[in-house]
Amino acid sequence: MKNRLINRRAVLRGAGGVALALPLLEMMRPARALSATAPVGKRFIVMYSPNGTIAENWRPSGTEKNFTLSPILSPLTEHQADLTVIQGLNLKADAKGDGHQDGIAGFLTGDKLNPGEFRGGAGSSGWARNISLDQRVAREIGADTRFASLEFGVQVRDATVWHRISYLGGDQPLPPESDPTRALARIFGNAVAADPSIVTRRLAQKKSMLDTVIDDFTDFNPKLGQSDRAKLDAHLTALRDIEKRLSIVTPASCQAPNLGALPNLFLNDSYPALGRLQLDLLATSLACNLTRVASVLWSRAASRTRFTWLGINDEHHSLSHAGDGDTAARDSLTKINTWYAGQFAYLIGKLKSFPEGAGTVFDNCVALWGNELGKGNNHSHDDAPFVLAGSAGGHFQTGRYLQYHGEPHNNLLLSLLLSMGAQATSFGNPEWCTGPLVGLA
Amino acid sequence: MLPHAADPISGGAPGQCGTRDPGPAPIRRLTRSEYNRTVHDLLGDETKPAAGFIPEEMSLGFNNNANALSVSPILAEQYVDAAEGLAARAVRSPESLMRCGPSGVDDACVERFIRDFTRFAFRRPLLDTELQRYLSAYSATKANLGLQSALEVVVGSVLLSPRFLYRAEHGDPTTEKNGIVRLTSWETASRLSYQLWGSMPDRELFEAADRNQLSTPAEVELQARRMLSGAYAMEVVADFQSQWLELDQIETLEKDPTVYPDFSSRLARLLAGESRAFLDHVTWHEPNGFAELFTANYSFMPPELAAFYGAPMPMAGGVQRVDLPADQRAGILTQAGLLALHAHANQSSPVHRGKFVRQRLLCQTLPPPPANLVIKAPDLDPKLTTRERFAQHSVDPTCGGCHQLMDPVGLGFENYDAAGRWRSRENDKPIDASGNLLQIDVAGSFNGAVELGRKLSESNDVQACFCTQWFRYANGRAETEADACSLAALQARLKAAGGNLPELVVALTQTDSFLYRRTQQP
Repeated sequence: MKNRLINRRAVLRGAGGVALALPLLEMMRPARALSATAPVGKRFIVMYSPNGTIAENWRPSGTEKNFTLSPILSPLTEHQADLTVIQGLNLKADAKGDGHQDGIAGFLTGDKLNPGEFRGGAGSSGWARNISLDQRVAREIGADTRFASLEFGVQVRDATVWHRISYLGGDQPLPPESDPTRALARIFGNAVAADPSIVTRRLAQKKSMLDTVIDDFTDFNPKLGQSDRAKLDAHLTALRDIEKRLSIVTPASCQAPNLGALPNLFLNDSYPALGRLQLDLLATSLACNLTRVASVLWSRAASRTRFTWLGINDEHHSLSHAGDGDTAARDSLTKINTWYAGQFAYLIGKLKSFPEGAGTVFDNCVALWGNELGKGNNHSHDDAPFVLAGSAGGHFQTGRYLQYHGEPHNNLLLSLLLSMGAQATSFGNPEWCTGPLVGLA
Repeated sequence: MLPHAADPISGGAPGQCGTRDPGPAPIRRLTRSEYNRTVHDLLGDETKPAAGFIPEEMSLGFNNNANALSVSPILAEQYVDAAEGLAARAVRSPESLMRCGPSGVDDACVERFIRDFTRFAFRRPLLDTELQRYLSAYSATKANLGLQSALEVVVGSVLLSPRFLYRAEHGDPTTEKNGIVRLTSWETASRLSYQLWGSMPDRELFEAADRNQLSTPAEVELQARRMLSGAYAMEVVADFQSQWLELDQIETLEKDPTVYPDFSSRLARLLAGESRAFLDHVTWHEPNGFAELFTANYSFMPPELAAFYGAPMPMAGGVQRVDLPADQRAGILTQAGLLALHAHANQSSPVHRGKFVRQRLLCQTLPPPPANLVIKAPDLDPKLTTRERFAQHSVDPTCGGCHQLMDPVGLGFENYDAAGRWRSRENDKPIDASGNLLQIDVAGSFNGAVELGRKLSESNDVQACFCTQWFRYANGRAETEADACSLAALQARLKAAGGNLPELVVALTQTDSFLYRRTQQP
C-alpha cells in the first residue's frame, strides 16, 4: 500500500524514540525571537471596558504636550509620558442592534454587523462582518509565536455579540478564555519540563494525528451550503495552524505566573482578583514571546457588574443609564472608569517590569484601551474614549493629548495597523475610513 | 419513493401544506454535552473532557444553533487535547480495548477494531477510503513509535475527524423528488439519537439502520417512543427547558446584600433545584404538562425553601412536593428563581420580566431603543412604588411604543421583589399588580401573575411559541417560512395530546424538517 503519509514519515524511522530524525529536531527549536540574535518584535494589546464613560471627567485639560490627566485617567499619571490620550473620535458602528451591540462589534472591526439571529436585547442581527484589528495585526506579526494571538476575558459568561471584540473574519468571533487556570494550562502547559524522549514521542504522535485529520478534511464533502463550507474551512485552517506551531516550544527561561488560590469564577466580587490574574497572564505571555497580540475583555457590553469594592452596589449598566443630572450616579460611573484606568495602569506597569534588550517589553508595545460607547445613558458612539500606551517601538511619539472633532475611529485603527508594519490604506468599512489619524504618528 | 400521501404528518391544515419542505439543514457540530455523552457511549470514558471547552456561541437563546457555532482556534486546540487524552486512556490496555481474543493483538484484529470503532464514531458504515486512511496512519506510526502510539493516533484522529465532530448528511439520492430527499437510515438514526438523547445512536438504532427500518414515519416514531424512557431523554428535555427559560443562570445569581441580606448563594442553588424538580415533574408525570407549567400551585423543595415561600412546612427533610399559597404562586413564572433572575440586584424590573414573557414565551422580537435617546430608568424613590416610578414610560411616546408591550406585563409581577419573595406592600404603599396583555390571542387586563399564568396557559400564541422554541432547539436553527407546516403540525400534535410534553418530543420526529432534507442548502 503506497501512501504519501508513510513516505512523509519514513524519516522518523527508529522505533523506541531513539533515533531522532531531522524534522523532529527542528521542531524542538525555541521560539525564534528569544534567541539572542533575533530581532525583538512589536506587540499589540487591546483592553476593552464597557458601558461608556463620563466625558467631562475623562477629558484631560491643557494642550497636546502640556496636559493634566483627568480624574478618571489619574491612575495613569506615573505613565503619562508613555500615553497618547485621544479625545473626540466617533466610534463608527452599525445602527441595527442596540448601541452596546453595535458598538462592541464595531470597536475593533470598524464595521457593521452581519444579518443574523441575535434578538436578545434588540433587533435581529448577527456577528460583526469583518476582521478585527487585533487579528489583522496578528497576520502581520503573529506568525512566529506559539499563539497568533491570545484572548483573555474577565467574567465573560456568555457567547453572543455582546461578549466578543475579536473576529478572525466576518461571522468568526474569537472567544476569550475567562478561566485563569485554563488559560495558564493552555499557554504555559508545555513549559513543564518532562522526560525529553516522552515529549518527543508525544510530539511525533500529535503530528501524525494532525496529518491524518488534515488529510481527512480533503474528502469530507457533505452537501454543504456556503456558510457551512466557510465554517469547515475555518476549522481546517485552525488545525493547520496548530500543526504549523507545533514546532515552537515554550522557552525554559519563561516563568509562568503563579496564580495562587483561584477566586470563584462566578462571584461578582471576584472580578478584581480574576482581572489581575488575567493581566498577569497576558503580560507574561507577551514577555515570553508566546504571542505578540493579546486582548482583554472586561465583562461584556451592557455589563451588570456591581463594583462593591468601590462601595457601589448598583449594577454598572443601570448606573450608566442614569440621567445627566444624577450626580450620585455620575460619581459612581467616574469611580468605575477610574478603576478601569487603574487596571490599564497595572498592565502597563507589568509590561515595564520585564527587561528586554536595553529596555523593557513595554518599549515594543502599543496598547489600546477603549469602550463600546462614548456616553452610556443615550448609547452614543460619539466622543468615544481611546487611550494608547506605548510607542510601538518608537512609531508613536507619546506623552500627548490629541483632540479631534468627530473623525471616525477607523482612522485610529488604521494608524495602529500601520504602526505594526502593515501595508494598508484603509481599515474596516472603507466608507468610514478616511486615512490614518492625522497628527497621531 | 416518497410516501407522501400516506404520511400521518405532512403539515398542518389539509390543503395548505401540500408541498413538502423540510427547510434548511445546516451542518451540526457536537455541543459540549453531546461530545461528553458521545465519548462516554463510544469509549466508556467518564471524564467529560468537553466541560473545559469554550462555551458554544448562543443564538436565539440556545447553544446549539448551527449557524452561530464555529470552531475557533482555541476550540480546535481543545479538541486536540481532548482527543489525545481520550485516546491515551482508551489505549492504556490495547487488549481490553480491542478484545482480540486468543490470537492476540495482530494486524487482523487491529483492522477489525479500526473498522468497528470508526463505524461507531462516524455513526454509519465506513467508506473504503476512510478505512485505508486509518490503516495507513496505524502502520506508519507503528513502525516509528510502536503499537501503543499507533493505536492512540488512530483513536485520536477519529475523534478529531469532521465526520465525528459534525453531523454531516447527504440524504438518500435515490429518493430525490423536487429537490427533496429522505435521509439515509443511519442519518435518521443520528438525528433521533442526538435529538432525543444528545448522544450517538445505541446498538438498537444502529441495527434498525442496518436493516433499513428507519425509513417510514411510523418506524421513526416507534424508536422515538422507545427512546423517551432513556435517562438521556430526561437530560435533553431538561437542557431544552434550562435554555428556553434561562434557568442555568439562577444558580450563580447574586443580589445586593444591603437590600437582600438573605439572598445567599445557597438559596440561589436551592431555587435552581426547585425549578428543575418542578419541570421534571410536570414533564414526566403530568398529563397536561403544558398547562401545569403556568398554573400548578405546588412545587418541589426542601423545608428550608418552603419557609422562604411561607408555605406549610413539609413533614420530613429532603426535596418533596409542597403546596404553595394558591393566590400567590402558580407555575414556573411565579417561582422565585425565575423572578429573581429577571430583576435587578436591588429592585424588581418590570421591563426585564415583561421582556422575558415577550421573547421567551411569545417568541416576539423587540426593536432596540431609538438611537441617541437618553434611556433613563426611573430612580429609586423611597416614597414611590415601582409602578409609580415607571409611569413615565407610558407617558413618553418615544418609550411607550415598545414599553407598552413589556411594562404592563412586567408590572403584573410586582407582588414579587427582586429576590422573588412575595410582597403586598412596597415603600409602605399597597402593591397594585394589575397588568395588561397586548398583541396576543388572550389580550386584555389581568391582575397578578397567577391570573397571567392562567391566561398564558390557555393561549394558542404561547403554545405556538413553545413549539417554535422546541423546533429551534431540536433543529439547531431558526424557523423559516418553509417550516410553517412543520410548526403547525407540532402545535396540532401538542393540542391533540392534551398538552402532554413528551408527546411533543415525539412529534418533533414526525415533521418534514426531521424526516427530509433539501438537496440544495443555502
